[in-house]
Amino acid sequence: MTDTPSDMRGAGRRHPVIRAADALSTLCGWIAAAMIVASVMITCQMIFVRSILNHSTIWQTEAVVYLMVTATLLGLPYVQRLRGHVSVDLLPLALPKRFRRGLIAFTLAAGIVVVALMLYYGYDLWHVAFSRNWKSDTVWGVRLWIPYAAMPIGFLIYLIQLCVDLFAVLAGLDRKLSLEDHH
Amino acid sequence: TELRLSHQWSTSDVRHKVAQIVADEVAAADVDLTIKIFPSKSLFKPREQYKPLSRGQLDMTVFPLSYAGGQRPEFNLTLMPGLVKNHDHAARLNDSPFMGELEKLMAEDDVRVVVHGYLAGGFVGKDKCITKPEDVAGLQTRAAGKAFEQMLAAAGASIASMASSEIYNAMQTGVLQAANTSSSSFVSYRIYEQVKCYTPAADVALWFMYQPLLMNKTAYEELNDAQRAAIDAGAAKAQAYYLEEAKKQDAASVEVFKKAGVEIANMTQDEFNAWREIAKKSSYKNFVENVPDGQKLLDMALSVE
Amino acid sequence: MDPLLLGATVAVVTILVLFSGVSVANGLLIVAAGFLLIFDGFRSLELMPEIFFGKLDNFALLSIPMFIIMGASIASTRAGADLYEALDRWLTRVPGGLVISNLGACALFAAMSGSSPATCAAIGKMGIPEMRKRGYPDGVAAGSIAAGGTLGILIPPSVTMIVYGIATETSIGRLFLAGVVPGMVLVGLFMAWSIYSTWRYGSVETLMRSGTYTLAQKLAILPRVLPFLAIILGVLVAMYGGYATPSETAAVGALLCLGVAIVIYRLWNLKALWVVLRDSTRESVMILFIIAAAGVFSYMLSSLFITQSIAEWIGTLDVNRWVLMICINLFLLVAGFFLPPVAVILMSAPILLPIVISAGFDPYWFAVVLTINMEIGLISPPVGLNLYVINGIAPDIPLKTILVGSMPYVLCMVLAIVILCLFPGLATGLPDLVLGPAV
Ligand code: NA
Ligand code: NA
Repeated sequence: MTDTPSDMRGAGRRHPVIRAADALSTLCGWIAAAMIVASVMITCQMIFVRSILNHSTIWQTEAVVYLMVTATLLGLPYVQRLRGHVSVDLLPLALPKRFRRGLIAFTLAAGIVVVALMLYYGYDLWHVAFSRNWKSDTVWGVRLWIPYAAMPIGFLIYLIQLCVDLFAVLAGLDRKLSLEDHH
Repeated sequence: TELRLSHQWSTSDVRHKVAQIVADEVAAADVDLTIKIFPSKSLFKPREQYKPLSRGQLDMTVFPLSYAGGQRPEFNLTLMPGLVKNHDHAARLNDSPFMGELEKLMAEDDVRVVVHGYLAGGFVGKDKCITKPEDVAGLQTRAAGKAFEQMLAAAGASIASMASSEIYNAMQTGVLQAANTSSSSFVSYRIYEQVKCYTPAADVALWFMYQPLLMNKTAYEELNDAQRAAIDAGAAKAQAYYLEEAKKQDAASVEVFKKAGVEIANMTQDEFNAWREIAKKSSYKNFVENVPDGQKLLDMALSVE
Repeated sequence: MDPLLLGATVAVVTILVLFSGVSVANGLLIVAAGFLLIFDGFRSLELMPEIFFGKLDNFALLSIPMFIIMGASIASTRAGADLYEALDRWLTRVPGGLVISNLGACALFAAMSGSSPATCAAIGKMGIPEMRKRGYPDGVAAGSIAAGGTLGILIPPSVTMIVYGIATETSIGRLFLAGVVPGMVLVGLFMAWSIYSTWRYGSVETLMRSGTYTLAQKLAILPRVLPFLAIILGVLVAMYGGYATPSETAAVGALLCLGVAIVIYRLWNLKALWVVLRDSTRESVMILFIIAAAGVFSYMLSSLFITQSIAEWIGTLDVNRWVLMICINLFLLVAGFFLPPVAVILMSAPILLPIVISAGFDPYWFAVVLTINMEIGLISPPVGLNLYVINGIAPDIPLKTILVGSMPYVLCMVLAIVILCLFPGLATGLPDLVLGPAV
């Protein structure tokens, strides 16, 4: 977890498609980080308003929760780009290189299928909430399509990043995924 | 056929027993139908049950209907301060045209009511008794339900929103000075260890919440006649039990609080009226403004004697 | 299909899928989707995003990124070095003062960080080279920091305790307090072994050798330690003084630590700040993704009635409670060898806790035992996060030396579990004292 992301980028990372996807994911990462910082600020504001001013705190917990959910979903592609999603690499490391690439491609493909599922049904949920104007059951009454939008958007960009990673593996462009410099 | 029933309470809770009665009756009828109960939110989070129910991914649930108030704002009337006066009044409300209107709305979501039922609740204060509106002024308060938050805020309380599971700790450390929720929640979260005074639901009570046993309408209609009859028979028995137990809950909670050395305060009719005046200017007003036909529904509910 | 047999099938498939090298969260989603599709039909797949979203829709989760930011911002400064240097200057006369200082600094740092790798890196960066320079064996230098770093998840705040609290609906404030004394016991055991090992495999001179500091030097370093004491005190006051709930307190801690890093350690360079935020975002999103995916996974287990059947089945087994506890510990130990702590806790705690409670064990005591098991996983092969951190800090120490050096500390942790079994009050005493008897 301390290895810096820069050494994960092989020469293949210069391919334009890969670079475009990387840029998109990085943008998501910035937004996610900004949302986490915003949650810190809002929570501190809430504690101040409640315990020092003794006023009502109506919207803060809800806002923070939705910010955290959105930060997580938008963070998925960014963390994928940094190879930050933890995995058990024993078997891939033990395999000869040819099989290793096949196995990595296969696991990426399986991930793509399940993320596509999440994207499809996540969009569906967003659409229902939007068309029926669902709100959260609180005084603040957030229109739920706003936080729900994090699902289609986050999973879509995560899907793109996974597809690009699969492409990089198949085209032999990803040095990191060949695990040469892994641990 | 197997039906899946989900709810959020432990197996010792009255609402579990209501579900269990229906399940047992159906099993005893021997009509090739079983109801599998998933208690203690082991399947869905409490507020997440209505959507799967209406989409047929869940067959039955015991569910506080106001949780779905974000999807059907009309349902907010099922947790409105001062609308229900006592348990017998609640029972009459269940047979009224008002409930008929709500059932029509549920039918639009492919949901039908199997067992009607209301549960009551009260107030606790960390340092003092809460009976009249002036008592909550300036207190950090956690209320159950949006309409109550609006009423309490109008009475001068500061509203703190947090999960009911955090009430105990928040009271203990002093983050929270007052709370309002159901009698059974007060007991199950052992709030009596942290408060000075309890205002239970007695002759008059502000807090009544409609918590029926619901079923997916299509799933019900797809059953054969014998199976439907078994459910209906179980439901009738369960509903009678629910009403009896609902009354006992309040008295039982008082016993628990008394035993823990907590002072018991009672709300007078005048204090109840004062609360309701505030509610009319805050939560009722807000409801009518935000719900088309809201005034009509509210009047229907208020017209029940 | 019999739920127990189905459960065994799920277990085998999950192990196979996770070992394929797929990311843990994706793997859990894949297994969940597969079994839901086969045994519950297509319609249940529709629910997956809703459950995923619902798992994250929880205010208590906020504290995970916050406590990670605390550790990451302080770790980005030379604060870790300051901490152990201060301790070293004051412990010059004590045999093995340097390694004691490092372990003490680990424990103090753990009180400001929710995760273990941050603790390990913060102290190790300066501590390991210094210990080697003064003649401590490589194994002791690396092993003590690897083990000391694991305290990050036992001494509060702790991300794994938060996850346990959420998964089992136990009080996070109480869980935090339960980790304090066992954390100190572990530090004590680590110190004892380090000194013994240095004496045995190094030399007595190493133990006795130390820098000589004047009183002025000793006093001069104190102001540099004050910010930490202020942070720890601030967090404690916020949490137990009636200002904030434990989940909210995390934000206070994060803000304090960022503030200290920026003002006192001059971390106002935007790039350096971004590194802190980037690392925190990466670790938080990784953990939150596993939490959400594990939520979908446990929905699958519950929907197929596997969770309930396993609990019932174990309830019918009439085994001695200590035999049961040993089995649970072995299971946790093996799971911890391979999987990150968060995944182990999320997948096992909801099933294990009812069993543990019905066998008459305290849920807060069990949280501590579980956490120590997870700490062992962090410094044991094949997936030992802290070992890789040490390897990154001190690349010239062979991984094998780090591994062998860490093994005795694993035994210290096993010993700590045994001590906790004999004296459960070590875990439950402090929470009972501060918060009254458990609810
Ligand atoms: Na910690
Ligand atoms: Na390990």
